[in-house]
Amino acid sequence: MSKIIIKTVNLTKFYGKSRGILDVSFEVEEGEIFGFIGPNGAGKTTTIRTLLGFLIPTKGRAEIFGLDSVKDSHIIKRQIGYVPSEVNYYDDMKTEDLLLYSSKFYLKDLRNRIKELCEIFEVPLGKKIRELSFGNKKKLAVIQAILHQPRLLILDEPTAGLDPIMQNRFFEILKEENKKGVTIFFSSHVLNEVQKMCNRVAIIKEGEILKIEEIEKLRSNNFKRVKIDFRQKVEFEFNLPGMNNVRKEDSSIEFLYMGDLEILIKKLSQVKVQNLVIEEPSLEEIFLHYYGKEVTK
Amino acid sequence: MKTIFLKEFKDNKKSFMIWLISVVIYNIFVMSAYPTVAKQASQLDVLLKNYPTAMIKAFNLDKLRLSNVLDYFGIESYLIITLVGSMFAMIFASTILSKEEKERSIEFLLSKPVKRSEIVTAKLLCVLIYVFLFDLIFAMVNYVSMHVVKQGNFDIKVFLLLSVGPFLMHLTFASIGFMISVILPKVKSMVSFSIGIIFTMYFLELISDLTDKLKDLRYFTPFKYVDAAELIFNKRIETVYLSIMFTVILLSIGVSYLIYQKRDILI
Repeated sequence: MSKIIIKTVNLTKFYGKSRGILDVSFEVEEGEIFGFIGPNGAGKTTTIRTLLGFLIPTKGRAEIFGLDSVKDSHIIKRQIGYVPSEVNYYDDMKTEDLLLYSSKFYLKDLRNRIKELCEIFEVPLGKKIRELSFGNKKKLAVIQAILHQPRLLILDEPTAGLDPIMQNRFFEILKEENKKGVTIFFSSHVLNEVQKMCNRVAIIKEGEILKIEEIEKLRSNNFKRVKIDFRQKVEFEFNLPGMNNVRKEDSSIEFLYMGDLEILIKKLSQVKVQNLVIEEPSLEEIFLHYYGKEVTK
Repeated sequence: MKTIFLKEFKDNKKSFMIWLISVVIYNIFVMSAYPTVAKQASQLDVLLKNYPTAMIKAFNLDKLRLSNVLDYFGIESYLIITLVGSMFAMIFASTILSKEEKERSIEFLLSKPVKRSEIVTAKLLCVLIYVFLFDLIFAMVNYVSMHVVKQGNFDIKVFLLLSVGPFLMHLTFASIGFMISVILPKVKSMVSFSIGIIFTMYFLELISDLTDKLKDLRYFTPFKYVDAAELIFNKRIETVYLSIMFTVILLSIGVSYLIYQKRDILI
């Protein structure tokens, strides 16, 4: 049986009377890449900050490496790397100084690794943090998180603001770290991102966990949001297996499609299309469709 | 702890120097005028008697005589070291921890393997050392200046009192400032907050001197605890004032540790 790295039990956090998270319970196993997804304001960051001991739980508890998230927080952090959703470091410090400062907390000499990582990520060493671009700040945050080779990475929307090339490089690095046995806890509101990376995902909405699911199962249901504008009024039949939530208007049709894409394309070639949009549906849509019953419960 | 302390010590060097140099230079400037003043001391003492009572009390002109260099310092310069020194100490103490939350860098710091209590210790230690250096260097330069300008000998014990008194007062303000910044992290500007408190305390001292009815106010203002005239006159800091200062310092520090360890860090 593999080791449990993160465990939360009925973890609840209220800010005064307003809800942060409610009875959040899940477990993350060693070596896993665990996705934590939900829309903004669902409680992702609250959960992460409670795990890191910034927030004291109102009820319930969280354990990392079997240690208490409040009492043993400083011990836990020896083996954690954290990337915040918004990077706010000491503006006046130079990149290199911040990384050296960071490494001192782990009582390790990491000079060479700092150079190495900054080269891989193309982060300038001698610049002040104030002068860094948004993307570079984010990269700096990633570097300081993996610098000391932690056992667990906690990432709060880590790729937001990174260009696609850097995102890919970032994912490669994560995969490499993961191969070495590093467990990764990954929050995001972009489904695509999570699909590429994770073994399992927890879906959080309005502070509560809706579902914890293996990514394979979600992937097999390849949802697309489809919107078609026709050249004429829709008087013909347009009905395929796998069409859901269909909204028809005079000359356009919109639906959630989970059927075979080949069939859709064949069908499209038979009609006169003026405009066509096929896109990833929003998370909300998928999960409302999937777990609608649980949500309304 | 050491890592945080060293960074903090380095970061604050510049602002410490600016504060220190301005008071030191002001003091040298004031003290250098002493030989001229001393020559006319007897006339001045008479002249000063015609000033409004409130002003005379505010500047301790009723108890002190300009013919002594310590008294002169007490009248002309002491207010600066107490007032400006307190501002330095309180602004410094009340922003050293809260700036991390304001600038959100606390998120970085708390993701490192440190206890919250270690953060508090490192920051407090930095405050203590800088306030100590501030008063020590001021006193040393002051001592030399007095030696240069003195007309007769001055009482070294009183000189020490006039140096240690402000130090204790600065520590009192620093610890109160630190505690407030821990309890009320949402206060937007700890700087104006600190200056406000210090001036309130200063005016409280002035008021407490005005009439006997209000004289119990003196227990609420550190300016009274180390009042120059009383130190020069009594040659000691009253035990009750000493105990108040020590209690306030220890209590504020204790409360700061307790609260900071159990508080949500909201960023």
